[in-house]
Amino acid sequence: MIMRPGQQLLLPANPLFIWSSLLVAMVIGMLPFGRVAWMPDLLALVLVFWSVHQPLRVGIGAAFLFGIAMDVHQASLLGQHALAYTTLSFFAITIHRRLLWFTVPSQAVQVLPLFAAAHAIELAIRMVAGGVWPGPSVLLAPVIESLLWPLVSVILLAPQRRAPDPDENRPL
Amino acid sequence: MPLGTLDRTPPPFFKQGPSALSKLMVCSALALFLMVADTRFGITQPLRAGVATVLYPVQWLVLRPVLALREAGNYFESLRSAQLQEAAAREKLARQSLRANQVEQLSQENERLRKLLELRERITTPAQAAEVLYDAADPYTRKVVIDKGLAHGIEEGSPVIDESGVLGQVTRAHPLISEVTLITDRDQAIPVMNTRTGARSVAFGDPAGGQSGALELRFMAGNADVHEGDLLTTSGVDGIYPAGLPVARVDQVERRADAGFARIHCVPQAQVDGARYVMVIKPVAGQLPPRPADLAPTPAKGGRK
Repeated sequence: MIMRPGQQLLLPANPLFIWSSLLVAMVIGMLPFGRVAWMPDLLALVLVFWSVHQPLRVGIGAAFLFGIAMDVHQASLLGQHALAYTTLSFFAITIHRRLLWFTVPSQAVQVLPLFAAAHAIELAIRMVAGGVWPGPSVLLAPVIESLLWPLVSVILLAPQRRAPDPDENRPL
Repeated sequence: MPLGTLDRTPPPFFKQGPSALSKLMVCSALALFLMVADTRFGITQPLRAGVATVLYPVQWLVLRPVLALREAGNYFESLRSAQLQEAAAREKLARQSLRANQVEQLSQENERLRKLLELRERITTPAQAAEVLYDAADPYTRKVVIDKGLAHGIEEGSPVIDESGVLGQVTRAHPLISEVTLITDRDQAIPVMNTRTGARSVAFGDPAGGQSGALELRFMAGNADVHEGDLLTTSGVDGIYPAGLPVARVDQVERRADAGFARIHCVPQAQVDGARYVMVIKPVAGQLPPRPADLAPTPAKGGRK
């Protein structure tokens, strides 16, 4: 396995943790904050994260199913989030070998176009289907999502960064 | 090195399943099909209802802290504001008591006069109270979700009112919750009558107008008799909304020399962005007399179903 110099060898990811993190992201996305166009889509962020880090476990099918769930919850067009998340997951899997060679801040810059594309897809679909223009603040959503990338990287990789042989000095 | 430090199963070399591109194409095609089925054919309701029912426990869990915060906010509301609200409510009650006391007598009188004139009796509409759970997060429409559904007898197309006017219409009824499209949504139209002149027209939603959306009276002639401050109520000709419910008040009338139509902006009477308790009324269509057989069928007019 070829690794970036100085990169830490990670523990294997726990599938239970992966799926529960996706569920938690979905639940946070379901919190009723009202109709805010710039609200970052945490579920999309976590989906891209796991598609990049664990493409064998989380892929396009899971993204599609989570998208359907979000569509029903938000009472939006059925398939709108599904298409956006599917595209996100596909591009995340496409770039996953390259992306992990960069530092986390540069990764955040490189995933920005992905999120922008996902939001552009949703916007285009809804404009074609006769929706209301949600205002220019919709442009902020992908920027906020990519700004959250370092934070999500730290949180979601924390269980894999634990010591492989815990003792009383390193309990975790 | 202890066991379990590295992934014990090496990544498969040959058996990788379908490629990402083929999965993308299948899923995108499925999503596109769902979108077309949703907008054009309207056959996705069972799927939506199923997913909504599966999601209901999650939503219930998510809403607990939010509802608790609301309750806490009510609890710590100051005595002063509670007293002010009570005074306002008493004043409103006193203003309405005269009319309320006359209603019994007037309705009896109305009934007798209608019998004299051999008119049909006025329609009474059964109603059901519901609570608004949350604003749908979709920024492209104006919808709220209420806590009653098919299991509680809610029908699609039912009008929804709050204490001051028409709020919207149930556009999707799931087993346990329903989606209500607000009257300020762009696709929502409601037949109204100007109470001052008796002129009937149709008000369309205008989500960009005002702070929380507004309504617009379209296709009114440039010299139409509409003034600022006119109250618009439901006209009752559509077979959905009962007649006489307040809808909006005319806010601004723009008459331009170059256009044949006047631009008329109205402010909704219901609290479209802050309603908490609402009433869901059964559509009156089921109680209307059947259409005479010799008339040619005309396309149904009025609110979206």
